[in-house]
Formats: sequence, C-alpha cells, structure tokens
Amino acid sequence: MSSIGTSLLRRSVIVKETLIHKSDPRTKFIFFLWISIFAYIFYDYVLTAIFLIGILLLAMMGKILKRVLLSVAVIILPWIAFGVPILSVLFPWNSTLMFKLEIFGWQIPFYYEGFAWGLTWPLRIGVCITSALLFYLTTNPASLIALLFKFKLPFRFIYAFAAATQLIPLLVDEAGTIYQAQLSRGLRTDVGIIKRIWNFLILIIPLTLSSLTKVQIRAIALESRGFSAPVNKTCLYDIKFKNIDYAFFIGMVIFTLILIYIYIIYGFSPIVHLKQYFIAG
Amino acid sequence: MVIALGEKEKEVVPTGAKILAIVMIPTIAALNYVGGVIVELTKAPIWGDTWATILGTLISGFWVGAIGGFLYNIIMALTLWGLPAWIWGTANVVIAFITWFSIKLGWTDLKKPLKLIIPCIIFGFIYPIYTTAIWVLVFGGGPMYKPLPAAVYASVLASTGNFWLANYVENMITEIPDKIISFIIALIIASRIPKKFILTKQQS
Amino acid sequence: MKNVLSKEVVIYFQNFSYSYPTKRNVLIDINLKVYKGEVLGIIGPNGAGKSTFCKSLNGLVPHFYGGTVKGNVIVAGMDTLEHTIAELSTKVGIVFQEPENQLSGLALTVEEEVGFGLSMLGFPRELIKERVKEAIEKVGLKGLERRSPFELSGGQQQRLAIATILAMKPEIMVLDEPTSLLDPIGKYEVFSVLKELIVEGSTIIIAEHEIEELAYLTDRILFLKEGKVISLDEARNVLSEISKLKEAGIDPPSITELTYLLEKELGIKIDKYPIKLSEAVKLYSEVLKIK
Repeated sequence: MSSIGTSLLRRSVIVKETLIHKSDPRTKFIFFLWISIFAYIFYDYVLTAIFLIGILLLAMMGKILKRVLLSVAVIILPWIAFGVPILSVLFPWNSTLMFKLEIFGWQIPFYYEGFAWGLTWPLRIGVCITSALLFYLTTNPASLIALLFKFKLPFRFIYAFAAATQLIPLLVDEAGTIYQAQLSRGLRTDVGIIKRIWNFLILIIPLTLSSLTKVQIRAIALESRGFSAPVNKTCLYDIKFKNIDYAFFIGMVIFTLILIYIYIIYGFSPIVHLKQYFIAG
Repeated sequence: MVIALGEKEKEVVPTGAKILAIVMIPTIAALNYVGGVIVELTKAPIWGDTWATILGTLISGFWVGAIGGFLYNIIMALTLWGLPAWIWGTANVVIAFITWFSIKLGWTDLKKPLKLIIPCIIFGFIYPIYTTAIWVLVFGGGPMYKPLPAAVYASVLASTGNFWLANYVENMITEIPDKIISFIIALIIASRIPKKFILTKQQS
Repeated sequence: MKNVLSKEVVIYFQNFSYSYPTKRNVLIDINLKVYKGEVLGIIGPNGAGKSTFCKSLNGLVPHFYGGTVKGNVIVAGMDTLEHTIAELSTKVGIVFQEPENQLSGLALTVEEEVGFGLSMLGFPRELIKERVKEAIEKVGLKGLERRSPFELSGGQQQRLAIATILAMKPEIMVLDEPTSLLDPIGKYEVFSVLKELIVEGSTIIIAEHEIEELAYLTDRILFLKEGKVISLDEARNVLSEISKLKEAGIDPPSITELTYLLEKELGIKIDKYPIKLSEAVKLYSEVLKIK
C-alpha cells in the first residue's frame, strides 16, 4: 500500500486537458461521496461491479486508468482472492450450496452466501478507492485548496491539510537520504526482527528531530506573517462550475432517482437477491 | 496576556503553543505516513502508520496527537483508500486517548518498564475490539489481504464458527506487534527529544 | 554608506530587558533609537541576544515565547507589549536564518508564497497580485513565479522570504542572520538585494556574522554581548574597536585588523581605520607613498 501511496502523494500537478480534469473539484468530490454511499446502500456484487466499471470508464476518460487499475490490482484483487475461497467455505451464514471441491481427499463445500460476501465487500471498497483516486488524480493541488475554502472549513484545518500534503513528499525524500546514508554506514535489511525494529528507529529518530526543529521555525515564521490575524483569509485560487459540472450533476440526479426507484421496488440486492445477515450474533 | 509582577517587571503568558500545535498537526500526519514508508524500507514487522499519533500525544498533548492522526487518515481516504478510510481516523483518536490516559496515570516512563505492561495490554487486547468493530461494520469483516492474518482468520472461523471472534483474533495478531512496538518506539523517541520541543507538562 | 538624514524615530528600546521562561537575562537594559531609513547592523558572539533582539521588534519576544519583560519596545508607534504579533506584522517584516523552514508550507508556487502574508491579512486578491509582481521583480525572481518554493536554491529561497516581506510593505525590515546557511553564491544574491533596498531608503535591521558585508551596508552597528549593549555607534567606530571585538570572539574586517596590527608594528598613528577596501587602498597608497 505504501508504495502506491508514496507515488500518489509525490505526484506533481498532472497537467491534462480532459473533461474530467477541467471539471470543478466540488463536482468530483460530490461524485466520490455519492458513489461511495450508494456502494454501501446496495448489497449486490453485480450492481457494485457496474458502479466500479462506470468509475473505470471515467478514469479512462481522464487518462488515469493505468494508475487506478494498479491500485485495484494491488489491493482489491488479493482481497477477493483471500476472501472468496475462505468465506465460501467458512462464512457462518452459509446455506446455499454451490458445489463441492475435492482437496486432498476432503470434500469441501462452497456456499453462495460466503462467496457473495467475499466478493461484494472488496468491490465496495474498490468503488470507494477508485472514486477517491478519480477525484485526487484529476484535481490539481491549487483546486484542492480552493475546494476546502469553498466548503468554508476553518482556515487552520485547511492549513493543516495543505501543509501535510506538501510535507509528505519532502519527508519521504529526506527519509530516502537518511536511508542511503545509513546504508553506506552498513545498515542491512536482511536481518532479524529485533534488528529491523532497531533499523526503523535509527531512520526515524533523525527524521523526527529534524521535523520538530522545522515546526518551531515554521511556527514563528507563520506568526510573523500574520497567520493568527483574526480576519478572513484570502484564497488565492478560484474555482467555478462549468457546463460539464452541470451535466454531471444532472446525471447524478437522474441516477439517484433511478437507484431510489430500484431500491424501493427491488430492495437492496436488486440483481443477485442477497439477504442481509444478522452480524451481531 | 501581560501580568505586572513588581514595579517594572511583567510576565507575559506565551501564545506560541497554539500555533506550534497547528504546525505540529500536519507534521504528525506526515510522520505517520513516512513511518509506513520506512517500514517498507526496513521490512520492520509493523504497519508503522500510527506511531506518530502516540508521539504527538506524548509531546504535544491529546488534541495534537488525535487531530494529527485523524488528518493522516483523511489524507489517505482522499488520496488512496477512499471514503471508508476516514473511519480509521477515529481509531487514531482512540490511540491518542489511550496514550493520554497512560500519561495521566504515569504509565509512560521508560525507566519503569513494569508500568508499561498495562498500556501494552490495552493496545494489544482492548484496542483491537474497536478496530474489529470498524473492520466488520465498515469493511465487511472478511479476511485481510495478507497471508498470515488471513490464515489465522480462517483457522479461528473454521474451529469456532464465530465471525466476530475470527475478526477479533485477526485484528489482534496484527495490532499486538504494531501498537506495542509503535508505543515503545514513540516513548524512546520522546525521551530523546530536547525539552524545548515538548509542549505538554510531563507527568513524573 | 549613506547619511541618515531622517530624525524620525521608528524603533525605540526603553530600558528593555527580557528573560525567556527557561533562560534569564537574555537582553539586559537595552536603550536605543533607530531612525527612519537607517540600516542598523547587529553583531555579537553566539548567545549575545542578537536573535532575541530581532524577535523583540515584531512581538515574537515576548508574546510567542512568554517570559518576563522590563521596559518597552516601541516600533512604528506601536508598543510591542500592547499589540499582537499579527498587528505588528503590518509594520515589521522579519526574515529568518533557515531558508526552507520559514516557507509557509501552504503555497504551491513562488507567487503564492510571496502573497502568503497578504492573504493571511485578508487583502483583496487583485492587490495581492499587484504587490506580488512588484516584489518578485525587486528580488530578481522573475521567471520563477510558477515554481514550487521547495525547488529553489537556498539563496533563491531567502530572496523569496524577502519578497514575501516586501509584498507586505512593512516600515521596517529585520533580517536575522539571513546568509549564515547559504553558500557564497546565495550570500551574494541576498546581499545584492539588500543593497538595492538600502538605496531605496528602507529601514533595515540586520544581524549578521558577515562583518565584511556589514561594513559596506550599515550606518550604525550594535555590538551585543551577553545580552548587553557593548557599543552602539557608527559602523566605522564599532568595527575599529579591535580588542573589544577580538575579546568577544568576533573577527573584525580583515583590512581593519590589518591596519590595527600595522599601526602597532610600524609605530605609526592612523586616525581612521578603514573598514572598506577602497578606504584601505587610499590609506595604504598614502602610507606607502604610491600614487
């Protein structure tokens, strides 16, 4: 996860001119919330897969399909690969037998309820992850900050969020430098568990101390430049809704109405007709 | 605030702590993130992405640790893990609370290692109750996508048939090493930090 | 060195003493005035109180750190004890030693960093744009507007910090050892910008270890040691007090020290020690009778 995360947060502005990039970040953020909520409302792996495919199509339009598929491959597929076999056999609410498999002389029954659970949940998370990536990878950092201003969040939160996203790649670089320095002093990674924890310490301590020094200096620099002035801060960036955003909103409204209709008439599992399980027992 | 002391001397109440805390919060979030990166580099047997929440609480108080940890999860939710991941931010708040609680009761002194046992038990056995609830209610409670936890999950589910227990044991075996090691690491680092960086009043 | 013609007092230290919460008597009984358009240099060994002096000009001392205070500091008509750091930031701009660490962490580009202070004070966007353009041109960062501040060199980052202050148009600019972490090229870049600002008549306070540069830039020099004022006089007079400077561990300008040693060695009397190269050339030409 960290490798993907690192490369995502290290990205500089992805300058592309697709419709997805041009759309307002508020639209993409609302879409991200909207599709994630619907992924949780419906318990139906076919419908969830349709949501996921829809997002992948938008990712293709935004020319970020490769990056999005990478995270699906690294996170969702292994999740399904573990979840489906284990839960098909062992899920406590299994009742509908699909088939039996002979493994080392044992007849192992595979049930539908566990299979569906093992498939649906990773797909739900997949919808959430891919919609988040669609938002993040097609929104330049300036627009992201403008979005936070538009949502009228407290300025201190906006500062903390923006500073953290700027700081992470810098710290990662610094960690890399410290790591190289320690390697040249004999640090090895093919060692026992205790030594690996020790190696973690010898890398993290100088990084932490250097970060804390920076905190002090940055704090006084911010104060000296009026950070605590009790006035509305000026946002230097601007975002405006365009026609593509209105089209998107109309599309979301239409789909919301359709999904509400489906939910009312056909329930939360309209295609594969799964039951909700009493999981507190 | 300026308080007159004698005829000419005045004491000034510092205002710097607030802004230091605001600048500290993104640093905590970033250090949590980089912790995960360093774990990958060193192949340490932990997640490494909550240790800075504990450190932040130790040196700057509950709110800085909790908000910094929460911010880390917000960033991960927006940039990689999607909407449900923000819920893990509440787990970081719980971690900060356990740390703060341990500070108040004097359980964070490296020179008294026996007293560290109680927070280790809380982190290793009680905290996973919370993460199990999140894992089941928000992420479905299936096996994790790593071989060892998945194997443990399957064994417990096969032998007991108890869905919640299987999830709890799976969470516990990942959280015991991660949280305990992260707690000790944070204590070690906090003990090496010069006093001028420490915003909280240390309990003796 | 220009003559300071203005007698308008912009900074007034009145019996000012300060102790940090964890360190007593960092500044002791400071009494001085700084005039509009003046360039005041501050020298002293480590721990003399130079940084504390600089920070007392914009209220960081005492508000940020707390501590105990005696006396007053009046800056551009504002008592630093009675006004917040944010209020004082409109009058006093301060550039710190560490180029990268004083960046806001919020701005994505050089332009935005320069406009940071103004955006914190709620200035309108159009005005910010105007001032940012002016400030960037003044410090010679034109062409780098869209770059990330973290991609700049040390010297460029310090010039960026100066631009951030210039955009706020403060009455007084304070620089706390702005070149100590820079390479020679970075130092040269920063001092070049400062020379331009001095020519324009800015009031500048600069704490530095680069004594040779201060000799060229400053009108007066404040010599601090252990929190006390040792000397406050014209740059020439302070830098000519060789034994006092050496005792405090400060190296005077090479040509000044050379002249002092030659005076002793040759047994000749020299009225005014040179503090600049051109002065030394003139003096030695006379002494050596070379035209």
